[in-house]
Amino acid sequence: MTEVFDRRTVLKMAGSLAAIAALPAQRALAAGTSINYWHHFTSQSEFAGLAAVMKAFAAANPDIQVTQENIPNPEFMTKVTAAVMAKSVPDTTMIAAERVADLTAMNALIDITDRVSAWPPKPDFPDDCWKGITVDGKIYGVPSFTFVDWMYYRKDWFDAAGIKPPTTFAEFRDAAIKLSDPAKNRYGFSMRGGAGGGNLIINVMEAFGAPLMHDDGSISLDRDKAIEAIKWYSGLFTTDKAVPPSAPSDGFQQIMQAFMTGQTAMLWHHTGSLNDISAKLKQGVEFGTVPIPAGPAAHVARVSYAYNGLMKTDHEDAAFKWVTYWGSADAAVALLQATGYFPASRKVAQDERITGNPIYEAAIETLGFGRLPPSFPGLAGWTDNVALPAFQSVLIGHSSVEDAVDQMIAGLDAAK
Amino acid sequence: MDDAAFSRRKFSVGGPPAGWSRWNPARWLGELSETRYWMYLLLVPSLVLILGIVLYPTLYGVELSFQIMRLNRPGGNHFAGWSQYTRMWSDPVFWLSLRNTAIWVTATTIIEFTIGLVAALALNRNLPGTRIFSVLILIPYFLPNVVAGNIWALLLDFRVGVLNDILVRLHLLGAYKAWFADPNTAMPAVIVIEAWHGFPFFALLLLAGLKGIPADLYRAATIDGAGRFAQLRLITLPMMRTIIAAAVILRVIGLVNSPDLLLILTQGGPGRATQVLSLYAFQTAYKDFNFGYAGALSVVMFVLLMVFAWAYVRFSRVNEE
Repeated sequence: MTEVFDRRTVLKMAGSLAAIAALPAQRALAAGTSINYWHHFTSQSEFAGLAAVMKAFAAANPDIQVTQENIPNPEFMTKVTAAVMAKSVPDTTMIAAERVADLTAMNALIDITDRVSAWPPKPDFPDDCWKGITVDGKIYGVPSFTFVDWMYYRKDWFDAAGIKPPTTFAEFRDAAIKLSDPAKNRYGFSMRGGAGGGNLIINVMEAFGAPLMHDDGSISLDRDKAIEAIKWYSGLFTTDKAVPPSAPSDGFQQIMQAFMTGQTAMLWHHTGSLNDISAKLKQGVEFGTVPIPAGPAAHVARVSYAYNGLMKTDHEDAAFKWVTYWGSADAAVALLQATGYFPASRKVAQDERITGNPIYEAAIETLGFGRLPPSFPGLAGWTDNVALPAFQSVLIGHSSVEDAVDQMIAGLDAAK
Repeated sequence: MDDAAFSRRKFSVGGPPAGWSRWNPARWLGELSETRYWMYLLLVPSLVLILGIVLYPTLYGVELSFQIMRLNRPGGNHFAGWSQYTRMWSDPVFWLSLRNTAIWVTATTIIEFTIGLVAALALNRNLPGTRIFSVLILIPYFLPNVVAGNIWALLLDFRVGVLNDILVRLHLLGAYKAWFADPNTAMPAVIVIEAWHGFPFFALLLLAGLKGIPADLYRAATIDGAGRFAQLRLITLPMMRTIIAAAVILRVIGLVNSPDLLLILTQGGPGRATQVLSLYAFQTAYKDFNFGYAGALSVVMFVLLMVFAWAYVRFSRVNEE
């Protein structure tokens, strides 16, 4: 029998379907809770570390499924901003310390002060750790691991040249010049003048006595000291020729590649690169690690924390379990073994697998004097859109150091 | 059942409705579906969709440009009048970006058009292998910008770039060149890459245009003694005027609005050597979180594109037959 569908029948069917669709969604409680997690891990070792943490979490919490989504670091804030505007944020996210101010200012993070206060391991984390994720007395995340800045150096090159790893900026510059031989495509230093290089400019200026943020919370830049800093830092490229010619466009991948392929002798980065570099060069023979050299006015090496936070409250209990799991010994050691990232918990950092390994000596020393990076709303934009292009302009000869610093100061006034 | 009876069964509305059935929405809708207003009603969803996805965002963008709106200053949003536009007037980065945009779009469009025209003329000759080449030639255009950008970033890499290696082996370069770190080569390099990526667009459209030109015209011209270049100048290009105008306008719009490749390859650097307006607007919105100023920059781009399209159509006399 052939059924005849007239327009009324079709309309009735459409109405019925719409009514069914409008019924409240039935959640399959038996399937457990699913949460998603945004992060900006980049290297293979970082992905291996994340996979290890997720595996351990799944074993400990079989009723919670975590879906991870990787967003490249340069696009991370773009994606988060768009998600906030569109109200389509994930359950949880990784939070770099320097982004805390912007993220909280745009109301992207959930206040979890009460939950954190009731979390038993809280006292195991240093005060600085909580300071970095606290805004106006409210805590917006849980520390996951620590970025400890240090310097990688080619031990074999230094030994061959008969020089010791530098401890000051003056020694650093001398070593960089001595180890450079452009004819052989060898340079003293992997300068990050491209994407992500802005934070190093801030560090160098602070090491010369021109910090962006002051003890009273004010934000400004000492012009004379900043000029001195930029002259010294850009001079490594413009006059000393101790840096590869590609420096004005070199980002993370390029500086790592330059160091690992034997083009450069020194590299400033954090402990998170240790495993990738160890895969190419032999620890203690071909390369070693030392603290970042001290500047003329301050010894600046960043000890900053990565955090995980909640962006919505749909599955708050499960999401909080996930973000706090990163602070557990199991997760922290799994991540350390895969990547070299230091645990954020003081208690976990005393693990013998860390204190007994000589390659970590420089990082442990840095933990003693390292400082938090500055953080205020507008800093990320100023760093990428003002400071870095101004510095690059000096490198390529489009601008004098004085003009570049003046641009930075004007940009800082506008960003505040 | 005969046709008339079938029609009655399907479409007859029966006698006058009584009680609830008179106000039954399904019945009311059914009756409406049998009137001439039904077709207008069916257009409403499309109209709403178009208004929602085209008109609303455009007007919202214009509205944003008259606001102070910084996402990381939630309390400070307010109406700002023309202040974003007056700020732009004295913003050196805006003027530099405008200049770079003009260079980037003009050079890229000319190169893409030239290569696209040559490719289309070659493919139109129906030589052996034309079919396979007509597919191969489209490959760059199929690649997403992100993939194309990263491929070329590797090819031109200062340390491991294959092209650097080839050029050194051919003694065209003394040493590997850091193409994106030198302000003299950064813009030309990204223009060449964009041209490689975008020329198939012109090739495809121009080939379609060439297929539509009657062969009789060429035969007549040959009899009259016109050579290939004369035929190109006097027949091919004039006959394709409309399609060329459409292709150029579409491509210029695409280039002005899309900072993808520059974002991947240079991020506007070194310094601001490859900073263009779309990239500046993007960075202002998503790094400074300054949506008001980014909105103003976008409105200026919008107006410039409208003026360009109008001027191009007018001065190319594309509407004159």
